Amino acid sequence: MFADCGLGFQRFYVCFGDLGCSFDSLRFMELAIQEAKLALQRLEVPVGCVIVENAKVIATGRNCPTETRNATRHAEMEAIDALLEQWQRDGLSEFEIATKFSNCILYVTCEPCIMCAAALSILGIKEVYYGCRNDKFGGCGSVLSLNSSASEIPSIHGQRGFRCTGGVMASEAISLLQSFYEQGNPNAPKPHRPVVHPK
Amino acid sequence: MTNNNWEIVHIPGRPPIPPSQQPAVDVFASVIEPKLANTIVRKLNQIAPLENLRHVKRVRKRCLEGDTQLSVILCLANKDDSELDSMPKDVLELVNSYQLNAFTTKVCKYSATSKEEWEEQCKLWPTSFHPPTYNIEGISGFIDEDSKMVFKFMKFVLQLAKSPDRQVVNAAVIIDPSVNQVIASACDGINSWDSPLNRNGIERSSFVHAEALPSHPLANRSSSPGKLLSNGSTDDLEKYYGVSCLHPWQWSQQKLSSQTYYWHPLRHAAMVAIEDSAARDRCLFPSTGHFYEESVPVDLLLSSTVGSPAKKSKTNPTKVINGVNAPTDSLHSDSSRPYLCTGYDMYLAWEPCIMCAMALIHQRIRRVFYAFPNPNAGALGSVHRLQGERSLNHHYAVFRVVLPEEVLGSVEPLVAETADSE
Repeated sequence: MFADCGLGFQRFYVCFGDLGCSFDSLRFMELAIQEAKLALQRLEVPVGCVIVENAKVIATGRNCPTETRNATRHAEMEAIDALLEQWQRDGLSEFEIATKFSNCILYVTCEPCIMCAAALSILGIKEVYYGCRNDKFGGCGSVLSLNSSASEIPSIHGQRGFRCTGGVMASEAISLLQSFYEQGNPNAPKPHRPVVHPK
Repeated sequence: MTNNNWEIVHIPGRPPIPPSQQPAVDVFASVIEPKLANTIVRKLNQIAPLENLRHVKRVRKRCLEGDTQLSVILCLANKDDSELDSMPKDVLELVNSYQLNAFTTKVCKYSATSKEEWEEQCKLWPTSFHPPTYNIEGISGFIDEDSKMVFKFMKFVLQLAKSPDRQVVNAAVIIDPSVNQVIASACDGINSWDSPLNRNGIERSSFVHAEALPSHPLANRSSSPGKLLSNGSTDDLEKYYGVSCLHPWQWSQQKLSSQTYYWHPLRHAAMVAIEDSAARDRCLFPSTGHFYEESVPVDLLLSSTVGSPAKKSKTNPTKVINGVNAPTDSLHSDSSRPYLCTGYDMYLAWEPCIMCAMALIHQRIRRVFYAFPNPNAGALGSVHRLQGERSLNHHYAVFRVVLPEEVLGSVEPLVAETADSE
């Protein structure tokens, strides 16, 4: 998601409630929320994530399209880049890195957009937990379901899906986004028509 | 739209539906005297307005053996009861008073979403067609001059894609069509990732004007030759194994590593081009865009940024039609800085995968042109049709550029050569 994408968040974010989340998923989502808060401090749309391998956080990422002027620099992409760089520094091969991704779990405060969901499928991540839904761009059920486009077993094209659970600490994720839109988004383009304020 | 066998085909948000498959509803209609048409239509609009069929024309005009025949829709017909007396009383009275011969016919239930669909609809009963509210040049056709530029940029992107020192890859070029300037150009870079830590600045060489396009552009990224896994298979898709968007999931079976670069399975051509355009923006406009300094109060930021049009107007018809050589003096001034890639066009050799297609939406590309469809993973018509997802906050127009044989021919032999040298 990018700067001005969330206008009207009543429609945009749908919360599934926090019931039934394991202690682990709450603990890791809390760390993702911390990342989102860092994004907010830098006047970015507050979305953050962590990637977990064997119950350990191995990468973090936060949304930074404004700073980079690249609207594809979502939290997930930042964390993925960090891992690819680290693993290659460690001398891992293509195959070893693919194996590692297939053992990783992503915790992200907002449902991955279509682009990020596709990226996660390309990398073959094992599982995704997200906070609030992303009705406009969501690639894990809201607009498209790229997580289940195949099965978790690679198809002929090597295409695979991943397990995906929404609604983990959704209310925290939403309130961060609300505070972003309330403070105003200085980077959004000027509206095509003047905004009409109700009298 | 053709130019020596080049052709630009608009790929609409959803495929056109043939008339037999478009949902239709039954209506009562009648042939009327042309001189009574005004009166009857006025009365009908009062007593039986076509509320949910606003796209349907009330009157159909046909030429039968040199005579003009007018028919008018009287009212909706009940699906199960096409008896004339099922008409509302008012309509029935009108039918009787003008001695009309009512008959039932079908009209399309929903308004057309594309020109093709509209043409199909009119075979049943004429409807009106309003092109999409986002008015993007080209949907209703290109003027010759614009077509020529489209073909020129498509040739450029194909030359990038088949650079002779390596296997065929996908290539992506971002163009500012108002001045026909290359904003960024890139090839698939999954085996040539200059990781952010190693990156210093951007390649200024990518700022070239269309007029200065070299006939054989050097690959702007010297990547190590990737391994072509094809072993003479006749399957085209297998031949183009180096095209990332065709085989997004198969990176783990490739040999991507080299001495010089890291690799990155997501660095498809379109992603790299976006990255380069963002780097260009940071370089050309270094003083703006850093809104995140914590020392600056938010209200100050608002007052200082809301007033500045950091956005290029989305469509500027006069400029696009006439502006092949529009002045670029203001290029480095802040007012010329577009919001991301607003107003820019993206040229790709192959139809992008869904990751790239969504990235282009995020970056606010205005039009996407591609030469070859991508049946494996294409997101703009082949597997998905992202341009038709209404929930997205931005929509671009998509065009396929169909190439003449001789241009295609110049791509093919090269692929064969590469395969032989393996």
